[in-house]
Amino acid sequence: MQPLNITLVAGSIGAGKTTWIQQQVHTTAETAIYLSLDAGETAVDSTYLAAEVPGLTVLSAVQLANFLEHPTDGCVVYLELGFHIDLNSIILPDPMADCRRVAVLPPGTRHTEWHGWADVVVTGAEASITLRQPHLWRSALSGQVLDSASLNTFWYELTNGAYGTIQRAKGIFDVADGRSLYFDFVAGLPETTDMELNLPRWLNGRPDRFSGTEIVGEALDQTAIAQTLKDCCLDEQAIAYYQQQIKDLIEQQGEEVA
Amino acid sequence: MKVAVMSCIHGNYEALNAVLSDIDNQNADKIYCLGDLVGYGPHPNAVVEMIRALDIPTCQGCWDEDIVEGLNSCECSYPSVLAEKRGKLAHDWTNQVIHPEVREFLAQLPLSLRDENLCFVHGSPHNQHEYLLPEVDAFVAMERVLATGADILFCGHTHVPYVRSLDAGQLQIRVKSTGTTERDVSFSAPLKRIVNAGSVGEPRHGRPNATYVIYDTDADQITLREVEYDYQKTCAAIIDNGLPPIFAWRLARGLEFAERADDPTHVCER
Amino acid sequence: MNDWAILSGIEGNLAAYEAVLADIKRLRQPVEELYILGDVIAPTAESEQVIQRVRSPQQNEPVPQVCQGWWEEQLLILHGLGRTGEPTELIERYGIEMVKTLWDAIPREMVEWVRSLDFGLFELDCLLIHGSSVSVSDELTPDTPAIQMLDRLMRMDANTLFCGRSGLTFQYEIQQGTVTSSMTTLDRSTSPQAIAVKPRQVVGVGNVGRLPGQASYALYRPNSNQVEFRTVRYGAGKGFQRASP
Repeated sequence: MQPLNITLVAGSIGAGKTTWIQQQVHTTAETAIYLSLDAGETAVDSTYLAAEVPGLTVLSAVQLANFLEHPTDGCVVYLELGFHIDLNSIILPDPMADCRRVAVLPPGTRHTEWHGWADVVVTGAEASITLRQPHLWRSALSGQVLDSASLNTFWYELTNGAYGTIQRAKGIFDVADGRSLYFDFVAGLPETTDMELNLPRWLNGRPDRFSGTEIVGEALDQTAIAQTLKDCCLDEQAIAYYQQQIKDLIEQQGEEVA
Repeated sequence: MKVAVMSCIHGNYEALNAVLSDIDNQNADKIYCLGDLVGYGPHPNAVVEMIRALDIPTCQGCWDEDIVEGLNSCECSYPSVLAEKRGKLAHDWTNQVIHPEVREFLAQLPLSLRDENLCFVHGSPHNQHEYLLPEVDAFVAMERVLATGADILFCGHTHVPYVRSLDAGQLQIRVKSTGTTERDVSFSAPLKRIVNAGSVGEPRHGRPNATYVIYDTDADQITLREVEYDYQKTCAAIIDNGLPPIFAWRLARGLEFAERADDPTHVCER
Repeated sequence: MNDWAILSGIEGNLAAYEAVLADIKRLRQPVEELYILGDVIAPTAESEQVIQRVRSPQQNEPVPQVCQGWWEEQLLILHGLGRTGEPTELIERYGIEMVKTLWDAIPREMVEWVRSLDFGLFELDCLLIHGSSVSVSDELTPDTPAIQMLDRLMRMDANTLFCGRSGLTFQYEIQQGTVTSSMTTLDRSTSPQAIAVKPRQVVGVGNVGRLPGQASYALYRPNSNQVEFRTVRYGAGKGFQRASP
């Protein structure tokens, strides 16, 4: 049996771990699997990759265990390790012991813990700010539908420091017109990436898919962040109203096309 | 003679003091105020007492009306549900702290003021809620000034000051009516101006400084004034008094706290 | 695209409405759209029948699109469904007894229909409304100041505004105009710019039912932007129903 082709990917905040993995998957013709270790209740990277990279399968930890018992030949596995995971404390199951370790780091970094751990160091994006004690705050918002304009206001306030110094902020949000939006902010880069995920519009009540946000920063005003996000959410009546409007619009346009 | 015109103080006592000092330094002879004395800011009662003490002629703003009537600003002036919730918080807070005599004072404010060929309103001559933004069509702007019969219309409500001159306006019309012959009608208007006095207490031009205007009648010159003041004091008072702390953050950046006009001439049907 | 027929002010006069419908059917060019700009009703008993007739077009008649007029607004106010609380305007113009007369004239079942009507209609680049977008009571006439006519058009960015409040037939064309505008803000000034007005018009579509024996309405050809007024004579003693352009 062929040894499993498994790569562990670690690195500092915003260096571009997920981006590197996305690039690798695009260049390889083989079937690819992705897992984010200790994503907890939020799965922003997983959801993003699942929607945007055709041919990539996203697994949970349990599913990965099953896979390892009966692996498919010629399959490549990428395991992303969040910045907050202690590299030394990872215990890998036996089938994974012989894996490749990649660290994605900003240019010019040397002599870090990652250098000792990795087999390969990949140069990623520049880091503009480095926090001494970065704090991770995350919240699942699955089932919530947000008002787009409110979301934009909140995101602007968040990324401009109204709720603390932000190094990194990612989110997947379901908005009133049924789309799922991906927001990605890295301190130092002027523009937040904001794009619609390649997912169908959800126009029937509360969405049954992942949405949520992960924020890394210092002096985070967690209460204010949570409350503001809550204020951006629409109630059932509003959700139904907007969804009906979009359905009517689609029907109209459909008729004209026909 | 110099006429100072200010607007939209919104309970920001520090800013009001700074502007009054500046008006003094500019040797203005008269002062007019275009309303919105209260709302959003931490010292509504102090602001009104100051205006009363100095006997400054003031017309009623949309927030002044809302506090009197116990109404909430119509949702059409909020760009998002988040903004609407913040506006409601501000309204409820102001409603709770306002003294009865201050409420009475706001109730008796006139909708507009007139001084020779100058007219003063909060939003527009037709409505306290209408935003006369700079990008409003030139002929619509012209109609607003002509509707008052004045040469210069002073307005507020948008929180971003400007001076707009409308000169050599003319229209050619042909009228056909059953039972009469066709006729041609001409319309023309001399120089008219619309002046927006900006905002003393909740600036929206990207900087925290207070803004107001001065009209020099002898030189026929209008100047936009921007006045620095210790806005951090207002920020501290916002937080100390239990108003949403995000208001303090937005004040420091010269951003609207909640309301913003999306559609220049939309008038709320409320 | 075929013609539009635009009416206003049937005012509970069934014979007048029937006469206009008959006239429309006799026209050489087919009428594709029928717009009724309010005042379908008046405080008369016959109003109920007029509403029924408007709501039941025959096979060979266009389906009317109706918007609210002044009388409809007063009716809604009486039933607590209007934009203002008190029927002040109604009482001012017609006296306090009119409140009861109007209330009695229109049965409750009809009020729901009145309530469902749009305030105004917008088709292609035309606003069709009883008064103006300011209010049902806004009466536009050939003597209204030009700048005000232009304002009413600009509020909805309409090239043509069809209205019926005045009851007059007229065509008010704003053919050309300019104004020089300059702006100064905190951070910059723009130099004077000449702004030209796009040709626009206000059309009074006449009145169908107020004058016994004589109804007027308007025809509009969207393709060529042509307006024509029709006067229809009807009723006993006039022989055949005759129409004159």
